[in-house]
Amino acid sequence: MSTREEKERLELLQGTLDLLILRTLIFGPQHGQGIARAIEQTSADELLVEHGALYPALQRLEAREWIAAAWGTSDNNRKARFYRLTRAGRKRLVEETTKWRRLAAAIGRILGPEAEEG
Amino acid sequence: MFRSKRKPGDFSAELESHLQIETDRLREQGLPEAEARAAARRAFGNRTHAEERFYESTRWTRLDLLWKDIRFGLRMLSRSRASTAIAILTLALGIGANTAVFSLLNAVLLRNLPVQQPRELALFGRGQWAGSLDDFPNRSMQLFSYPFFREFRQKNQVFSDVAAISSLLFTTHGHVAGGANLEKINAELVSGTYFHTLGVDPILGRTLTAADDLHPGAHPVAVAGFSWWQRRLAQDPAVLSRTVTIGQTVYSIVGVAPPEFFGVTVGQSPDVWIPLAMEKEISPGWNGLEKNLFQSLYVIGRRKPGVSMEQASANTNLVFQQIIRSYAGAQPSAKQLEDLKRARIDLTPAATGLSMLRHQFSSPLEVLMGVVALVLLIACANVANLLLARASARQREIAVRMSIGAVRSRLIRQLLVESALMGFAGTALGVLFASAASRLLLMMVSGSEPVPISVAPDAQVLGVTLAVSMLTVLLFGVAPAFQATNIHLAPALREGRGTSASPSRHRLARGLIVGQVALSLLLLAGAGLFLRSLINLTNIDTGFDRQNVLLTGIDPVGAGYKEDARLEDMMERVEGSVGALPGVQAAAFSLFVFKDGGWTTGVTVPGRPKSPNDGDVDHNVVGPGYFAAMRMPIVLGRGLDERDNRAARKVAVINETMARTYFAGGSPLGRTFRIGEPDKENSPEWLDLEVVGVVKDAKYDHLTETTMAAAFYPHAQHTSYLYTLVTRSTGNSKALIPAIQRAIAAIDPNLPVTDSTTLTQVVDESVLNQRLVAQLSTFFGVLAAFLAAIGIYGVMSYGIARRTNEFGVRMALGAERHDVLWMVLRESLGLVLAGVAIGLALALALSRVATSLFYGVKPYDPLAIGLAVVAMIAIALVASYLPARRATRIDPLIALRYE
Repeated sequence: MSTREEKERLELLQGTLDLLILRTLIFGPQHGQGIARAIEQTSADELLVEHGALYPALQRLEAREWIAAAWGTSDNNRKARFYRLTRAGRKRLVEETTKWRRLAAAIGRILGPEAEEG
Repeated sequence: MFRSKRKPGDFSAELESHLQIETDRLREQGLPEAEARAAARRAFGNRTHAEERFYESTRWTRLDLLWKDIRFGLRMLSRSRASTAIAILTLALGIGANTAVFSLLNAVLLRNLPVQQPRELALFGRGQWAGSLDDFPNRSMQLFSYPFFREFRQKNQVFSDVAAISSLLFTTHGHVAGGANLEKINAELVSGTYFHTLGVDPILGRTLTAADDLHPGAHPVAVAGFSWWQRRLAQDPAVLSRTVTIGQTVYSIVGVAPPEFFGVTVGQSPDVWIPLAMEKEISPGWNGLEKNLFQSLYVIGRRKPGVSMEQASANTNLVFQQIIRSYAGAQPSAKQLEDLKRARIDLTPAATGLSMLRHQFSSPLEVLMGVVALVLLIACANVANLLLARASARQREIAVRMSIGAVRSRLIRQLLVESALMGFAGTALGVLFASAASRLLLMMVSGSEPVPISVAPDAQVLGVTLAVSMLTVLLFGVAPAFQATNIHLAPALREGRGTSASPSRHRLARGLIVGQVALSLLLLAGAGLFLRSLINLTNIDTGFDRQNVLLTGIDPVGAGYKEDARLEDMMERVEGSVGALPGVQAAAFSLFVFKDGGWTTGVTVPGRPKSPNDGDVDHNVVGPGYFAAMRMPIVLGRGLDERDNRAARKVAVINETMARTYFAGGSPLGRTFRIGEPDKENSPEWLDLEVVGVVKDAKYDHLTETTMAAAFYPHAQHTSYLYTLVTRSTGNSKALIPAIQRAIAAIDPNLPVTDSTTLTQVVDESVLNQRLVAQLSTFFGVLAAFLAAIGIYGVMSYGIARRTNEFGVRMALGAERHDVLWMVLRESLGLVLAGVAIGLALALALSRVATSLFYGVKPYDPLAIGLAVVAMIAIALVASYLPARRATRIDPLIALRYE
């Protein structure tokens, strides 16, 4: 699998990206670039987030009131839009995490034998 | 779904800030400015794409998405054509039936009159056809006298105008535009204020005015109804120079009413409106313009602006009491004062007009509306089941779409769009069905004469239909859509094509079956009860023989006869001539036959004290051959014959009930009685009537009447207009029509012979209501059971396909075919029995409400309900036997490889 394919898959896995954003915001308010960096770093650069894909996702999460946003100033004095987790978002994060773990485990079980056959 | 208040500019600014921060970071890592900027852009990817997606989330793109959903939905629907077609057809049946019944209900019960401000109109009384021609008012009054109307109109303060309408639509005959033939004309007699009160303007000429209604007999003018003008005069623009001659009077046509106006009585369509002042000319036998108590008119008032119904009612009753009090004279009797206390006028809103149809059909129409609503529910359940099965087949597709990030609400919306598409197709087809069905319904309601009402779906009907179909879509679409998207991704992805549905989905499907069976049973049980009522009604002993009797109408008034010897001579010659025709056993004129109304009063027997239990006596004036023609057996004494002429002693033949009530303890023969109270003046014609015979009891007006006292008098002694010739024949009575017409024409070529019907037809039409309800509820009951059967068949087939593997295993392990068959049937039997139990409870609860429509049947009639239960179970078993048999034919080898 090439990196390019990896990137595209992540972009398609919308639900997953949402989950990662919510998870990142649990440590406190952050702007878009910070979120992208945090995902890349915490996944030890396994996951490459196409930064452009992040914003529609943020927009969607905001529309659902799982996150809230406000303009502020970044560490290096740049104007930036900061996102924070809402109460609903926190709840969603717990649900999504559970769901994801089960899905991942299930897919893992399915893919496991297939990989051996292959 | 997306609620966006952000401006695109704000979004762009955020992206710009992102690039800036990322550039800053990369520069800090040591990259030169230009390279850092380029790298930040690369990492960002496609900025335009991100911005496009931002736009997509704003409001306008939702239309675009909807369009996509519609196209996708159409593709999905066309992929499974058979089940889509079944679903649409099912919905069309349900919606069509509802629209058809509602169109009729709307036309008869709900639609406003096509007049100005219909809400201002108030009807005096409730529009019941109940009046008296000589009694002092003593209750809630329905009909009023002409002098009362004139005086009331002058004295009241709450109505801007008041109109009176004869409660009888006169079917008379006349010469139109100087033509040679006598033609049938329906004339409505109205006060001169009629058109002004209603606010109806003519499309040609003028309408009637108060000045056309001042002096009895002095206003020979007529306003033509639009449809008559169109039909009879081909919309002749010179109509205002035409005349209509009725009896001796020549009426000038002064105007034409607008096309939509049919008067105030739904279900009638007068050809002409003529001033009430001409009552005696139109109806020599029925007139009382000068009589204070000749109460035969409907009265309608238009409230002045700002006058409430309560204010109008208060003033109306005040003026009413004053006027009636003056009728009693200076020294009112105690009884009159007592009556006056109870006399009142209940005003009712008259926006929808009057209607005999309404009294007659409102309860059957409401029952039918309930029935078709249930059918629609059953149809919805069927479609819901179909969607559930389809959703199962698409489970993997949905799981894949969700796992790659499709939002559940989006999927639900897409499934609902599919449902809505089916709903709209079903509605369109249903409206087509309805326009044919409502005409058919109208024909069934009409009996022999078409009822002139418009049942073409109007805006209101279409609005209701649309609302119903939206509701339908929600009903059948929402649950399956939620079910379909409520899946656990992992097992769903792992599974093969449609092997097992989630248990809750199957529960919903089975619940729908139970509901369908319950509602179908309810409808079948109702149909059974209505059918039994109808059978009971048709088996009632009428006391006469309805077979082979022809009823021929004549119009002596139209031909200019007076109530004198010439009329009597004509009637006797017609009776003699028709009675002598080959194949005719007896012929006689009669004032009333059956379903003609009646003339009832109290009677006084000399020397016998009045008893409060004395019912009224139903009087009839007939020719000598009447009892033979009706086959009413004489049980004592003799019938009427030629001896009973004007010169002879006045005689009467009474029925058994009258003999028992008024002449108890001895033979009534030779005894006498008089009509009316002893203290009342009465014409000498009706005093000192001698009983010469007793005839068997019969039904005189309708089948369900309680047996009442009756007396028959020879027309030779009481010459009056008799409109019906009763002829008994040996064979097919309709074949006699031309011969009878020739016989009458030979005696008087100018005498109009109106419609001929058979007595069987008249009796049958008297239970039209019950027949209508019985036939339609049976039809819909069978339809409902059929829909339920389709539902059961679908769910069972689906369940069996799902369990092919299991059946294979069982059979491989030695299960016999009948074991498998029984297993499947047991499952469906369980569902059906549950449905039957619920349906029974519903049927018992509801049938109590509808008892007024039953005759001689208890709401828990075991035969009707038992048959419904047996039929429902049988239908359900057949529907599940077919798929069950397929289960037994499973080849274990193939089944095990089925996955």
